[in-house]
Amino acid sequence: MTRTRSDGTATATVPAARPADPPAGQPPAVPSPAVPSPAVPSPAVAPTTADPQSAAAPPAAQAPALTVRGVRIRDEVNDREIVHGVSFELRPGRAVGIVGESGSGKTLTCRAILGILPAHFAVSAGSIEIAGRDIAGLTTPQWTDLRGSTISAVFQDPASYLNPSLKVGVQIAEVIQVKSGLRRRAARRRALELLTAVHLRDPELVYDQYTFELSGGMLQRVLIATAIAADPQVLIADEATTALDVTVQAEILDLLADLRERNGLALVVVSHDLAVVAQVCDEVLVMREGEVVEHGPTADVLYHPRHEYTRLLIAEHEQYGLDRYLADSDSTTDPDPDPDPEADPHAGIGPVAGEQRKELDDVR
Amino acid sequence: MVRRVLALPAGRLAVGILSVIVLLAILGPTLAPHDPLGTSALTLAGPSWEHWLGTDYLGRDVFSRLLAGSRTSVLGSVEVALIALVVGVVPGILSVYFGQVFEWFTLRIADTLIALPFLIYAVAVTALLGNGIPQAMFTVGVLVSPLFYRVARASTLAVARSQYVEAALISGASIGWIARRHVWGKVLPPVAVALAQTIGIGFVVVSSLSFLGIGVQPPAPTWGGLLASDLGYLSYQPWAPAVPALLIMATVWGSNLLADAIRDVSGEAGRALLNSRRVRARRLDPAEPIPAGGVAP
Amino acid sequence: MSADGRPVLQVADLEVHYGLRRRRRRVLHGVSLSVARGETVGVIGETGSGKSTFARAVLGLVRASGGRILIDGEDVSRYSARQWRALRRRGVVQYVFQDPLRSLDPDLPIEESLIEPLLVQGVGRKEAVERGRAYLARVRLDSELFGRLPGELSGGQRQRVAVARVLVTEPALIILDEPVSALDSANRVGILEILKELRDAGVALIFISHDLGSVAGVADRIAVLYQGEFVEVGDARAVISNPRHPYARLLVGSAPTLRSAAASRAERDALRALLHA
Repeated sequence: MTRTRSDGTATATVPAARPADPPAGQPPAVPSPAVPSPAVPSPAVAPTTADPQSAAAPPAAQAPALTVRGVRIRDEVNDREIVHGVSFELRPGRAVGIVGESGSGKTLTCRAILGILPAHFAVSAGSIEIAGRDIAGLTTPQWTDLRGSTISAVFQDPASYLNPSLKVGVQIAEVIQVKSGLRRRAARRRALELLTAVHLRDPELVYDQYTFELSGGMLQRVLIATAIAADPQVLIADEATTALDVTVQAEILDLLADLRERNGLALVVVSHDLAVVAQVCDEVLVMREGEVVEHGPTADVLYHPRHEYTRLLIAEHEQYGLDRYLADSDSTTDPDPDPDPEADPHAGIGPVAGEQRKELDDVR
Repeated sequence: MVRRVLALPAGRLAVGILSVIVLLAILGPTLAPHDPLGTSALTLAGPSWEHWLGTDYLGRDVFSRLLAGSRTSVLGSVEVALIALVVGVVPGILSVYFGQVFEWFTLRIADTLIALPFLIYAVAVTALLGNGIPQAMFTVGVLVSPLFYRVARASTLAVARSQYVEAALISGASIGWIARRHVWGKVLPPVAVALAQTIGIGFVVVSSLSFLGIGVQPPAPTWGGLLASDLGYLSYQPWAPAVPALLIMATVWGSNLLADAIRDVSGEAGRALLNSRRVRARRLDPAEPIPAGGVAP
Repeated sequence: MSADGRPVLQVADLEVHYGLRRRRRRVLHGVSLSVARGETVGVIGETGSGKSTFARAVLGLVRASGGRILIDGEDVSRYSARQWRALRRRGVVQYVFQDPLRSLDPDLPIEESLIEPLLVQGVGRKEAVERGRAYLARVRLDSELFGRLPGELSGGQRQRVAVARVLVTEPALIILDEPVSALDSANRVGILEILKELRDAGVALIFISHDLGSVAGVADRIAVLYQGEFVEVGDARAVISNPRHPYARLLVGSAPTLRSAAASRAERDALRALLHA
């Protein structure tokens, strides 16, 4: 299912620098939440700028945080199969993106992973393992135990996941008290730490505010803080930035990248926008009508799309998106530190020019 | 809507009960084997071939009186419901559109009516307007109308803020147009629920009032009146009140069942319920293919 | 692209306030914009920037507290409710909502929603249905969808219906509020292509969005709205490739593109600091 990943410090030659695996042979650095990786040239690094050393990802030897194998999901009302086999593996500190339109099955897949499929939907084949544990036979208490502390999620509409009549800080503290067994005062301290960690400007103030006093971006930060309160290994972000303004979306994506680098959090980023996923993830799955039509490292998917639908997604950005203008006025507006010598605006759609392809082949 | 209600067992049961009651109301007086007002020397007799449910303290045939009384009882409760409907729903819808003054006044009037105990008020009004079922039911209808006002207003508010209403407004549609075209269809299901419920309430009220001897001129029979007279002779015929009481209960139960069924099949909740049924049906009977297609029946 | 000298819409020094007395606050300040026939203008702004208020003011749903709005040369700023209704019935200015599911009555078949503007105008039912069908074809929808309910259509089909619905009155100006943000790629391209055709047919379009990216492909000009004021108005290419105002720069720098976000995080942080200063 997964193509061979590009290895080594290939990023400079890959157009637009996609993240790559860390150099082979790097010591298995267990990511520590407290100490940021010294190699991170803070804070400018979004994962897309892929400094090869910045990825806190340990080598492939480490056990996957999440394994999804051939998962199929059925709708029992109409007796139809909605998702026809999704497989991917996610190691700590890495990010996989799922792109697809509404109804493509991407959200159902996430819900299956979290064990919260809507009524009358069921996983009919395949298996899901979270931190090496098959979730098929989990009882409700076991699920409760797993959620939050091992796997956690944020969704599109943050306000609906918070109680409007409680202060947001109290709600985070509650999660901490339940999940980590801390006393009230310690939980409060930890909640403030978390609010700081999600880059809220005035955590003390936000702690005592209610949902209606916070903007969408701030609420999403609060939810992310809640989601990472019990130090999960995997965070699922299902259209987490879709409802936000573009400038706020950029901040949230930066935050997710940060968490990934600092805490070794493994991310599943779900979006209808290929660009969002491309910005955060090393690996992309493109889904359509329940089928995974494309799966591979981000650079591969972006520059060698195999499926027509992936080409359509790329072409859309190039014809109607900012790429249309940015591609040919690169020097003035793209301050991406990585040199991007032959910016062919259609590199993604058509066959890649001979020289470029050779470079890419060399990389592999 | 009707088809969906009938798809539910509770809906079928409710419609069945209510049809029988309506038939009784229409045909009851002609079906009566005896003159419901005709007295005889045979007082407080037990059931027999001649008198299926026995006779009352004046020797009148109880079965005939029940049949004859059904029309008054049913008409009375329907009158309550219809008056409440008209008096409540129209201002309820208009309160959203007719500006703040109208809204404020109708809201306060509704609040006032809710505060009045309607049974006692009905007694007082019959003293003024004369003792008769129409007067009493009119009063009760007006006093129950805030229920309809509130229900209609709430569902209109939800529609009024919707984008399709705004879209119609941007196309130059008038308030009347919007009310007819967009609001009415959304207000109807909750109003239907309220209506079914109110028919039940109306029944209890008619029965209570005639039990108290208000609204009905003796010796005209009603179910509540029968219950009242039977209770006076409890020591002679302990089982007698059971029959009118059962009829009243069945009707109220039928109305409430119908209200529940309407609620269950309308909107989101209705679809979820129908889906659950479909899945269950499939599990029980995997051989039979279920037509695929959207969730909206 | 602009043809025919006279602009369809002229907005001059528009001011809009919400609230009364002490809670009165300014939502739009000194907003001026003119849109010619066959021109597409993108109005970009974040939540609360006043972009929806701008649209509502042009549609007469919000009363301006200052400035002038001219539609087809007619000053509508002092119009009464009756005059507005008459103007709207003519269907000169139309509006497409972001979410087609909510902008179509869920209980009415597509046909009814589609021909509603014509029926309101007083067009006979038979003729209205005929014209409705023609426009359904124009947005590339099968006329067999006519009898369906909005819930039975996909998101893309619904938005096409919503577009067809505003087209039936042959408007001179269409305001679109995030018409493609609720759609997925394939449908987005479909709608954008229809919009391009409209523009070529001489319809003026105002495309409102929070995302520069979704407007870039269709807009001739872009106006960036920030805190109730247009901070940058200009040719689309110029605004995107060489934005001057810090907010415009932040917008361009934040938009995710296939080639990674256009600005580095440090730059974005610097711009944010500048804006908050």
